[in-house]
Amino acid sequence: MSTITFDPETLESLQQQKSTRPWRKKPNRFTASVTLAVVIPALIVSALYLTSDIPVPILLVVIYLPLQLIASGIAAWATKGTRGIADSVIIVNAIGASLFSVIVLVSIIGSLIVRGLRAVSPHFLFQNSVYISPSTPLDYGGIGHSLVGTLLIVFIASLISVPIGIATAVYITEVRGRAVPYVRFFVQAMSGVPSVVAGLFILTIVVATGAFNQSAFAGGLAYAILMLPTVARTAEEVLKLVPDDLRTGALALGSTRARTVLRVVIPAARTGIITAIILGVARVIGETAPLLLAAGNNDQTVVNPFGSPISSVPTYIFNNVALPYPDAVARAWGSALVLIILVAILFTLARIIGRGRVGR
Amino acid sequence: MSTAEFEDVMDLDIEGVEASTAHPAGPTEMESRDVSVWFGQRKVLEGVNIAFPKNTVTALIGPSGCGKSTFIRTLNRLHELIPGAALAGSVLYEGKDIYDAAVDPVHIRLQIGMVFQKPNPFPSMTIRGNVLSGLKLSGMKRANHDDIVEETLTAAGLWNEVKDRLGNAAGDLSGGQQQRLVIARALAVQPHVLLMDEPCSALDPASTLKIEETIRELSKEVTIIIVTHNMQQAVRVSDYTAFFLSEEGTPGHVVEQGATTEIFGNPQEQRTLDYVNGRFG
Ligand SMILES: Nc1ncnc2c1ncn2[C@@H]1O[C@H](COP(=O)(O)OP(=O)(O)OP(=O)(O)O)[C@@H](O)[C@H]1O
Ligand SMILES: [Mg+2]
Repeated sequence: MSTITFDPETLESLQQQKSTRPWRKKPNRFTASVTLAVVIPALIVSALYLTSDIPVPILLVVIYLPLQLIASGIAAWATKGTRGIADSVIIVNAIGASLFSVIVLVSIIGSLIVRGLRAVSPHFLFQNSVYISPSTPLDYGGIGHSLVGTLLIVFIASLISVPIGIATAVYITEVRGRAVPYVRFFVQAMSGVPSVVAGLFILTIVVATGAFNQSAFAGGLAYAILMLPTVARTAEEVLKLVPDDLRTGALALGSTRARTVLRVVIPAARTGIITAIILGVARVIGETAPLLLAAGNNDQTVVNPFGSPISSVPTYIFNNVALPYPDAVARAWGSALVLIILVAILFTLARIIGRGRVGR
Repeated sequence: MSTAEFEDVMDLDIEGVEASTAHPAGPTEMESRDVSVWFGQRKVLEGVNIAFPKNTVTALIGPSGCGKSTFIRTLNRLHELIPGAALAGSVLYEGKDIYDAAVDPVHIRLQIGMVFQKPNPFPSMTIRGNVLSGLKLSGMKRANHDDIVEETLTAAGLWNEVKDRLGNAAGDLSGGQQQRLVIARALAVQPHVLLMDEPCSALDPASTLKIEETIRELSKEVTIIIVTHNMQQAVRVSDYTAFFLSEEGTPGHVVEQGATTEIFGNPQEQRTLDYVNGRFG
């Protein structure tokens, strides 16, 4: 009988198996050169953009695009011959397009930071604008009142549009009543309502009739009109993704239709419904026109949703950005920066809430 | 169960089988009378007449696509949920037509439970939540939820695998575990009739035997109707068997039915003999 013996090295390597990820591609010459071919034209164009006055569209179409094609063609030919050109076109398009959107986003945020960061400070977030004139230095005053206003208005709009939107989606996907085509049509038509029209509508039927002042409530109503179609249509798509097996399974347990929707279908679509709400909020949070009309303006902090006109971040920006005072303009840009950060925070929160998969 | 016993059961010789002793045919609990079924214009079942005696197990067998699932779904009024579905004939439960206008389908489905071909646990609920979901969804009151969870999961052969993680998401279970979970879920509402559509098609042999044991145990109190492609299983668990067939595009119908021992041991029809011996389908 023979015993198998390993030399110590093999034995050790057998005993200490390392976790690896063999499916991860290792960078090779091809990818490297194609990536270079993407980065170099982008760098050249970025440099041109920063140093010259060539307008961006011309820069992109006349300089970037040809440069990019030539660069990627050379890269592909150099590594794989003519065969590689098709590959490179696809990769270049993919990377280039993603790079482009990243550049757009970064430059938006960049311009906000460049022009607005000097206005942002703790007191900028918490103080209101009482006794603050456009020429007041940045050491005083802030947009606390506008932030409170925006949050209040968006909250009211969500309170109204989210239940109605989800109910609409439930009607379309779960109830499947006879009016579904009409409901769908109206939701679609609503999503085409220009925001200023929503504001005018509320101004006419709520404010001008004397039912309510210009207020957070009136502004929230205008926002709700704009949010509703987004929430309803996204929620509809999401509910459609819930497998029918789950509905049948619930019904087979002696569940009513209503309980099936409330306890099984909507919870199963929870993450998606949160996304629907996020998209609804994102749709409205920067809308200015409806609030100019329905919510008005105020230098004071207002928390009563019905009482008086109320400030909001978009209207604050609108009122300050075109003033002939550098500090006022800086405040406007600073507010825009805060608004974007606020949106980011809301989205992150919603994602975290949506991630916990199992709940009661 | 020991390995030897296990092999014994798996190696059952079909021709000369000694099937589980048929319960004496008691009162009929469910009955389908002349049931025909359409999807849109297409007729998929024709004139199905089967009586299901109380507290017995009936196996529905037949080749794929012959309408077994469709038939079983007419028995708890799930069929009507499919747009374009139509039905003729009547289904009697405790002597009354469940398709009567005065009958609430929700009430019917609470008493006639179902386990589906594909496991469908509720992804938003925990393992425990899934077992108890029937109680919540139907508004049924039962005390001692902890005991219900343990009892039903044990009967479904899942308790030992999940007893330490009842709070985990049901979606994290394997396919076979999910199937056993939905069996436990169906048991928790204590149905009078249990419809099982190929409940073991996703299960390993050991879990399959566990489920079969449970079926035999349950059949003391529950009327069970089970669709299966597994001939040994039909022999092992059922008292009665109905053989469905849909020949060359014609609607499916029952070719032969009767005591399981008769259908497998001494079928009257050549087609039944061929099918149960695996010569077609
Ligand atoms: N929702 C539906 N719409 C239209 N036709 C359907 C639908 N469900 C089933 N059918 C048709 O009805 C017939 C019977 O299907 P059924 O699912 O009842 O077969 P089965 O006997 O359960 O088959 P299997 O053993 O493969 O599960 C098939 O021809 C199928 O195509
Ligand atoms: Mg089937």
